[in-house]
Amino acid sequence: MNRRGFIKYIWAAGFFAASPAFAFDIFKALDPQGKNKDVQKAKTIFDGASSIISSATDMDYKSEFAIGESLALEGFKRYGLPSKSKTLQEYVNLVGNSVARNSLRPTISYYFVVVDSPLYNAFACPGGIIFVSSALVKAMNYEADLACVLAHEVAHVGHKHALQSIKRAKFFEGVGKISTVNMKGEDGKKFRDMIGGLQETLFDKGLDQGMEHEADESGMEIAYRTGYNPKGLVRILHMLKKKEEKAKKKGSWFSTHPPLSERISKCENHLKKYPDANELAEVNKRFAEYRRLL
Amino acid sequence: MKRLILISILFVIAGCQNTEAYQIAEASQSSEGPKNVWVSSTSAKLKAESRSSSDTVTALPVGLKLNVIALESRWYHVSTPDKKTGWVYRGWVRAEAPEQEVESDDEDSLGSLLGDSSGSSIEADSADSTRSIRGLSPEAEEYAKQSGSPKKFKDALDSVLSMRTKNRDVETFLQKGKIGQYAE
Repeated sequence: MNRRGFIKYIWAAGFFAASPAFAFDIFKALDPQGKNKDVQKAKTIFDGASSIISSATDMDYKSEFAIGESLALEGFKRYGLPSKSKTLQEYVNLVGNSVARNSLRPTISYYFVVVDSPLYNAFACPGGIIFVSSALVKAMNYEADLACVLAHEVAHVGHKHALQSIKRAKFFEGVGKISTVNMKGEDGKKFRDMIGGLQETLFDKGLDQGMEHEADESGMEIAYRTGYNPKGLVRILHMLKKKEEKAKKKGSWFSTHPPLSERISKCENHLKKYPDANELAEVNKRFAEYRRLL
Repeated sequence: MKRLILISILFVIAGCQNTEAYQIAEASQSSEGPKNVWVSSTSAKLKAESRSSSDTVTALPVGLKLNVIALESRWYHVSTPDKKTGWVYRGWVRAEAPEQEVESDDEDSLGSLLGDSSGSSIEADSADSTRSIRGLSPEAEEYAKQSGSPKKFKDALDSVLSMRTKNRDVETFLQKGKIGQYAE
């Protein structure tokens, strides 16, 4: 095949992928008879790419939530059970839901849980179940810090980052929706393998670094919209940087997120977008009262 | 080489689609300000004046397009498609339409569909129920069974999913903390 022609049509596929309906007409215009191999190959690539992407982002909420629940069960196994204080859990749910209703997906339900864990960690299960470790909450000084961390996790749910990481899982081959029927037998094994892969991503390897930076920026935006100082996220990152040397890395934010210095730099730069950030809520006293419950 | 180019392009495609789909608008930071904004918060209300304690003209459903008349401090002066005018807090709107989705077709999602903490088309303060109250889904029960997940983890998840967060409690919480629309 002509190399230059191949590259040209591939670029066409990439360009028009941003507007799929238009792309269909363009491929038809380029090759009305469907006989040009280069055009048809580019169209095949485009169709495949669209299909891969939509399989992750177009999953129905119920299926997404079933994945999230299954992962949450593994989360308790890995990080520990919920902290005993119901008052504290209610407080964290109030902070979390305050930011969640100004998020990218404001109309789904979110659930927040503090788990007894010595690791500095927080993660989001697909569908909106969000974990934060007791160690991380204990290390905070302001409600704005907690709001920013929860907003970061809410942003992962909004961007469907975890789902994107499993979009090529074998389970989805021929499975449209998740139900109790395809949780058994061979499909059930594929589902459990997929949850295993998701655990490895979220608990050990971490999501793609671009996704983390995106969640940092979106989280700051969500916190800002709610009325919390988005600087809280920068403060948390600085705090973690100080603790990094002595902290246990495996299974924590240190091992699952991009290097802290890089994140701090990007977040500090993003903070410039909010000139009135320091006028927004920090809430120190109320936070300290609830933190004592840990 | 072709494979390398192909892989690179697919990454570009994925990046483009993701950015396009979820880019957060910067309505509140624009120097001139947008001509239109879309309701993007489930707590949005049209207020008679630019303060949270003023009368509520009407509740604003997520996705509603508003015409911007002016931006003063942290409040937009807006008009609705049915010609009502009033004020909305800047955090309740975006410069582009937000994603809207239905949680599920189950009965237990009615809370969100009817406008409690999520999906509000009813004035938030009048909603008395909670966010969807649920235990483990049949799918999660099946996963727990198949994977041999101990009962204590199922109980833990059940306790998380049964946590009730009332919309009015969130409002009171924000008010006490002087956060967002309640800031002085």
